[in-house]
Amino acid sequence: MGTGAPRPSVLRRLAPLLLLLPLLIPRAVDNSYYVGMVSRILVYAMLVASLDLVVGYLGDVSIGHAGLFAIGAYTVAVLTASPTLNTDAYSTIQHWPQLPFLIALVPAIALAAFAGFLLGFPALRSSGPYLAVITIVYGLIIYTFINEQESLTNGTKGITLTPLHLGTLKLSGVNYLYVVYPVLVLVLFVVHNVTHSFWGRAFEAIKYSSVAAECCGIGRSYFKVSAFVLSAAVAGVAGGFFAQLDSYVAPNTFAYSFSVEFLIALIFGGVRSIAGNVVGAALVVVLPDLFAGFADYRLMVYGSLLLVVLYFVPEGMVGLVRRAWLRLRPPDHAAERASLEAQAAGLEVLSRPHPGGDAMALRLEGLEMKFGGLIAVRDLDLEVPRGAVRGLIGPNGSGKSTTVNVLTGLYTPTAGRLYSFGQDLAPLKTHQRARAGIARTFQNLQLFGDLTVLENVMVGLHPSFQASLFEVAFRLPRARREEAEARVRAYALLRFVGLQPAAFDKARNLAYGQARLLEIARALALSPKLLLLDEPAAGLTAGEIQSINGLIQKIKAAGVSILLIEHHMDMVMAMSDDVSVLDFGKKIAEGTPKRIQEDPAVVEAYLGTHKTSSVVV
Amino acid sequence: MQTLQLLISGVAQGMIYALVAFGYNITFATSKTLNFSLGNFLMLGGVVGFILYMTHNWPFFAALAAVVLVGMVGGAVLLKVAVEPSLNQRSAYGWILATLAVGIVLRNAAEVFWSTDDFKFRSPLGDSPWRFFGEPQPDGSMSGGLGVYPQEVLIIFVSLAIVAAVELFKRRTVFGKAVVAVSEDKDTASLMGIDQKFVILFSFMLSTAIATVGGVLVAPITLVSATMGTVLGVKAYSASIIGGLESGFGVVVGGLFLGVSESLTARFVSTGYKDVPGFVVLVLLLLFKPSGLFGRAAIRKV
Repeated sequence: MGTGAPRPSVLRRLAPLLLLLPLLIPRAVDNSYYVGMVSRILVYAMLVASLDLVVGYLGDVSIGHAGLFAIGAYTVAVLTASPTLNTDAYSTIQHWPQLPFLIALVPAIALAAFAGFLLGFPALRSSGPYLAVITIVYGLIIYTFINEQESLTNGTKGITLTPLHLGTLKLSGVNYLYVVYPVLVLVLFVVHNVTHSFWGRAFEAIKYSSVAAECCGIGRSYFKVSAFVLSAAVAGVAGGFFAQLDSYVAPNTFAYSFSVEFLIALIFGGVRSIAGNVVGAALVVVLPDLFAGFADYRLMVYGSLLLVVLYFVPEGMVGLVRRAWLRLRPPDHAAERASLEAQAAGLEVLSRPHPGGDAMALRLEGLEMKFGGLIAVRDLDLEVPRGAVRGLIGPNGSGKSTTVNVLTGLYTPTAGRLYSFGQDLAPLKTHQRARAGIARTFQNLQLFGDLTVLENVMVGLHPSFQASLFEVAFRLPRARREEAEARVRAYALLRFVGLQPAAFDKARNLAYGQARLLEIARALALSPKLLLLDEPAAGLTAGEIQSINGLIQKIKAAGVSILLIEHHMDMVMAMSDDVSVLDFGKKIAEGTPKRIQEDPAVVEAYLGTHKTSSVVV
Repeated sequence: MQTLQLLISGVAQGMIYALVAFGYNITFATSKTLNFSLGNFLMLGGVVGFILYMTHNWPFFAALAAVVLVGMVGGAVLLKVAVEPSLNQRSAYGWILATLAVGIVLRNAAEVFWSTDDFKFRSPLGDSPWRFFGEPQPDGSMSGGLGVYPQEVLIIFVSLAIVAAVELFKRRTVFGKAVVAVSEDKDTASLMGIDQKFVILFSFMLSTAIATVGGVLVAPITLVSATMGTVLGVKAYSASIIGGLESGFGVVVGGLFLGVSESLTARFVSTGYKDVPGFVVLVLLLLFKPSGLFGRAAIRKV
């Protein structure tokens, strides 16, 4: 502490120079065949990275990326090809725009991105096997179109492109590596920056629990469609450069099996890893060459390899290496922790809620929630005064969690009105309510398992990020500053709930009590005006409940209004200013804890009527 | 008359989709996973049937029985090799890739160890169409009018019979009800003494056996080849999704829709585009009904 961040060593500073090494390949390897293979790996790595955005980060399996790739490749081919090279008497092409390559690349990327946009919409509503079929069908439609639109694409005969050149300098063949490599580095740089920012965290949050993501203020539709657009744009870039790889494109390349092959490549290399993407791409290129003697068996080898990888190394080759490496050298977060500790000390984590508006933090009027014939909540009036803790109790199935789900906008009530600080909540979607200052925790933990504890809290800070996608993609100053600030703030929040020792652990490795604390820290990250605690003590030991009690008092002291749903009567009675009791979806009593404990209707709801209990056995 | 003929071949094609789609639904019901190599199991059925019936001149029913056996063994192997590992790891998409991988291996194996060519498969009912409403010819045959291939009729009836038999089995027998129970709630079914592992194994074997029979049924119409199952598998999958993965007879609706739209588009628009209308409708349908026509929408629980 006190010395600041350690200075990076000279070696570390020079590391980026290693990036230039591949440019020496054409000089060092005197074999145009092998250099060509490297160029192919580089192009394919872009496609694998594009697939990774959707599969690895968003968790949606796409078996149609060959289609997006084809759009990029064919747009470039159609726009740049010249009739002199397609003199075949059977050529059916009618139009020859003959644009320069770089100009053709723009519509190629735009068209692919638009196709991704169209694919994103079904992905909003469907998932798993339903989404998988959509992606397959999507790829097949594009494939059919390329095959059949002969006046545009020359059908099955394909299109021959003019090899790239700059003046008299040939950019095709061996030299193509100089073109593709910088593009790959740029694309991977952008993908890496986006996935390691609040954007990437939003993707992963949606993957683990889209409900929790929305309750952290993440607009699920926006980020999901954006992920598809981004992925498709990258596939479009890859396709555009693929067209110039052999200076020839034909529809058969882009068949269904191509999508499958790249899915295999992605899993083989390891998802959510740039190195994994490159390794996966190398597999697709190198394997057929290694088995050149048995080219016919290639797919059998692929298939079996995939089964072995899925079974023994589900995290892929890079994941395997990483795991071995971490075992040899366990990560040391001491320096980062010291720096975060220093910056987080004395940071005010809960900004005081703004005054003004209605005195009621929450007001429900005549709320009703029906599921088909079942009435889960009926005619419920409930108020949480500003700065107060309101307890909400009731037997199992009395409608408590349903009420929280209605409040956060997961369910649309069948009748009644909801206000928070005088603002009507009805028109607000879940993520907008979170941004309006309503945060919640979940009775069934909804943590983002593969993210660290610190990152989980940073997902809660999502609404505080202002940087545009462009700033994020190129790590411009504002994006870097916001990210650094968010880390400190998230660490301060972890200190607030006492979870900072686990800051760098994966959320799914937390003990149960710690996971409950993390839920609270993540909810507090929204700087809420109203906090909904859905059974925060469920499954905890007496000691852990004590620390939750202390935490609730600290949160209340900071001026946050709280709706506390709980089964532990000691906790509810000790913490609440007033308590409301639900039974069969109806409010049966309300008042101070003392009055509630003596209320005959409450006793009856919990213990049954006097009549049945007095039956002589 | 020509439209009627198109309809009949569309219906026959659609029933094959429905039959294989039914195979997808069966494993989804018990294990919430789909066997993405089902199209290639159909190919396996066609190829094995061809080798036994056409190459080695086995009697048709002996060949068919062998094909069913191959399908059942194949299903069990697939479950052990591809699906169970990923179920045990609770991986979200492991089984999709693993079953795709098995499909790739099957297809490539057929290409390497059998042939990469297309072969004609003789229909057990004969390959000349039955003619209705035609002109009688001097030699006693008919020409013109409505020509229906006996194989098409066979496909329609056998497919319907299999789907109906399995549905009846599910609704009327104790073991069938056990299958339904596992599909509703695995854990509770286990508590009731149902061996859910066996039920899942049974469902995979039934599913692949149905697909291999589908291969023998469709072979006389499409020709037999190592690639015959690839597109058919996808179409059947689409049919299953259109109907809804959790519906029983919904697959028939999905299959018929795809089969008929295909044969009408091929005739009146273009053969190249025959698959497109069905696919477009599939995507649009899922936009509005995310779990298919007869699927159940899930309530989000947190």
